[in-house]
Amino acid sequence: MSSSKDIILPELVKNLGALHPINHMKDSIMDLLVSFGFEIVNGPEIETEKFNFDMLNIKKSHPARQMHDTFYIENKSNLLRTHTSPVQIRGMLEKQPPLAFISGGKVYRKDDDATHLPMFHQVEGIYVDENVSFAELKDLIYKIIFSLFGEDIKLRFRPSYFPFTEPSAEVDILSKDGKWLEILGCGLVNPIVLDNCNIDSNKYSGLAFGLGVERIAMLKHGVKDIREFYKSNLDFLSQFK
Amino acid sequence: MKIAYSHLVRHINDGPSIDELSNKLFQLGHEHEIENKIFDMEFTPNRGDCLSINGILRDLSVFYTINLDQDIYDEQISDLLINFENLSKEICPKISFLKIEVDKLPSLYKGALEEYFCDLSLSKNNFFTDVSNYLSYETGQPTHCYDSDSIKGKLTFQEHNGNKEFESLLGKKINLTEKNSVFLLNNEVINLAGIMGGLSTACSSDTTSVIIECAFFRPESVVGKSIKYGINSEAAHKFERGVDPECHERVLRRFVKIISEHANIINLELISHKYEESQLHQILIDVNKINKIIGININIDEYIEYLLRLGFLVKGNYIEVPSFRSDIKTQNDLAEEVARVIGYDNIPRSEIKIPANASKRNNIENKIRYFLLDHGFYEVINSPFVNVSSEYSIKVDNPLDSNRRFLRTNIINSLVDNLLFNERRQKDSVKLFEISDVYSTEGNLQKRRKLSIIASGRVGLNYQEFSTKISIKYLSTIFAEILPNITFDFKTISRDKLDTKLKSEIIYLEIDVEMLSDDVLHYVELSKPAKEFIQYKPISELPSSYKDISYLIRNYSKVEELQNLIFNFKDEILKDIFIFDYFKNDKKNEIKIGFRFIFQSKDETLTSSQIDKVLNDIVSMSLEISEIEIPGLN
Repeated sequence: MSSSKDIILPELVKNLGALHPINHMKDSIMDLLVSFGFEIVNGPEIETEKFNFDMLNIKKSHPARQMHDTFYIENKSNLLRTHTSPVQIRGMLEKQPPLAFISGGKVYRKDDDATHLPMFHQVEGIYVDENVSFAELKDLIYKIIFSLFGEDIKLRFRPSYFPFTEPSAEVDILSKDGKWLEILGCGLVNPIVLDNCNIDSNKYSGLAFGLGVERIAMLKHGVKDIREFYKSNLDFLSQFK
Repeated sequence: MKIAYSHLVRHINDGPSIDELSNKLFQLGHEHEIENKIFDMEFTPNRGDCLSINGILRDLSVFYTINLDQDIYDEQISDLLINFENLSKEICPKISFLKIEVDKLPSLYKGALEEYFCDLSLSKNNFFTDVSNYLSYETGQPTHCYDSDSIKGKLTFQEHNGNKEFESLLGKKINLTEKNSVFLLNNEVINLAGIMGGLSTACSSDTTSVIIECAFFRPESVVGKSIKYGINSEAAHKFERGVDPECHERVLRRFVKIISEHANIINLELISHKYEESQLHQILIDVNKINKIIGININIDEYIEYLLRLGFLVKGNYIEVPSFRSDIKTQNDLAEEVARVIGYDNIPRSEIKIPANASKRNNIENKIRYFLLDHGFYEVINSPFVNVSSEYSIKVDNPLDSNRRFLRTNIINSLVDNLLFNERRQKDSVKLFEISDVYSTEGNLQKRRKLSIIASGRVGLNYQEFSTKISIKYLSTIFAEILPNITFDFKTISRDKLDTKLKSEIIYLEIDVEMLSDDVLHYVELSKPAKEFIQYKPISELPSSYKDISYLIRNYSKVEELQNLIFNFKDEILKDIFIFDYFKNDKKNEIKIGFRFIFQSKDETLTSSQIDKVLNDIVSMSLEISEIEIPGLN
């Protein structure tokens, strides 16, 4: 018989937990952007129409305002922000260029199905300086997408429309099954928005971009139904460690 | 908007393939899908001018020679006498009425009109409405047809403020409220302007005489109305996005031409009202500015050529914007036009250099998250929408449903739901946390960033922690590791009012994140964020079961052999294995080791015989190892 010294105790498996995959993805994107030189700014989830729409050149009569199906609260006195862009407006009002901000967090739109939820997460960035061009925006977007999906990924830029950027673009990546998948929106900051923030649009120009965190997490992790992220099911959450 | 490939390509001299055309449309920013040679287009809201065959062809003329062989009626048309008054000229600065009477309705349609209905599988309605719909598809300008016989009396256009009843031509009765732009006949609403006409003046399959209204309505007067009244209207979609205010004459003459190709016109009269002169927008020619915006270096000739191809004109030192491009106002708008023509993908990258800064994510919050991970907690994210209110709850004016009428004022209620959800899935050790902003009307509008944790059941699923239950003492001890100077007020939640039969104590804590001190920054975490992004495996919603096997081992050297055998055992329904018990009895020279096996199928609820079969295989294989036994096994 062996002596007790020879016994190897069974491995004591330490049950570690896991970050929520959406927060982990958001943190990864934010850390990446910080490494590019961006500064993190935070803002409230309850916003005013002024910061969520007006300052961003989304006029009351504009169809774009309908695109954002908005949750209003307390007799329309405020709203739940429909994007993280108002955080950047608040940042620009406090600081003159050169400035490079990112903001990330929860946003809300009146939507609920297998691909849309009333609450989801965005990360947005803005860089304002003298002579910021669309060609530089392209460079930044390539760097972000290469960092997230590897340098072999194919991407394309399509003209698009956002009231707060002009020119505007949407960027698609080519999936393994040969389909183009929309991954982010971006553009040069509309000079009207700079002027709204007391930044001289004759002297400065800016670029801005926004990513949907859930969309990127779904692609990276292979999750097909966005609702899986928010069931708080330990069988699901325990896979992400 | 659905557009047939054949309807486009017949106007393009170069005859591009559908794939080539698709690529060009993407380059121009016109997203679409293709099914059976039909483009299902999704235009951005600023490009109302593209919502037609001719609109898309105008953009495609950047790449191709376009041949618009759409004949119009070019003879003199006599004046129409109509009793009409425009009381809201600022909303409708231009309007025309065309009266057409034919002697006999056609039994068949010809040419582009027939192809429109056939190729897009559309249902026909009545002759004049069908021509109107086709022309909206061809030119982008909606028109409305009234049965001439129904227009007797005074016709008025106005923005009406107040309640009015209206019955749409589809028979839907609508109570109009607040401000609406309407056409009234003898003070009765007969048309919700720019959205849908009314039943009382609609054309029928017998109508041979019509009055066609062709108008420009300011987008602001139409926006949101079709959603408000639940009317699905293509006309509203177009007016909301802006139509060409200068196209009426051509559209109505095209209308006459198509009618004349199908029937004998016996009466034709036209009246046009123009209450203001259009001023075409002009932008200073500044190619340097355009080059700076895009980051390219084109010369002025290239710049002008690109814009001319898109229908812009040069007037002295200015670029004149065509009437159909109401979205073009600034140099940045022109830069986007130039960039579209060049192709976004053809614009070279220019290296970006952002000045460095020392920004970091919230360290205290991050440290506490990793500390909790190290103790087996999982981070969750919950929706803030709840159905119960407290004194300081914020009410959502337009909730998705009555279960989501308020914003939560605490996190813990969500965590209780999460706990019960997992307990119902046979989880006997649940530790969760969430960090989130929480809003209330306490004081004024108040934002508090909170950390909430909940825990119940076993401390852990290993042989040292399996038999220990989570308690306030356990949680206080681990929190003292990281924040020895703070006393945390852990509380229990009674299970009496919860939908559960379990008995284990539920412990929770909810605090303001600002209460956490810098002490947490000294904590050295064990957990590391996953470097690679894990490929998720779909989870089963079916119930899981467990079985335990306890071994008695007298030859200590066999412990490792047994573990290797068991942990390497694979079966489709065997989801997890862990050692829940380990006891070495030196007096008796024996070791007891207990394994728990968790079973779950992706496809079916498992029967005991399915589980026993796998268990028997494990038992048989393990008992082949000499000097081990399973006490109690017959």
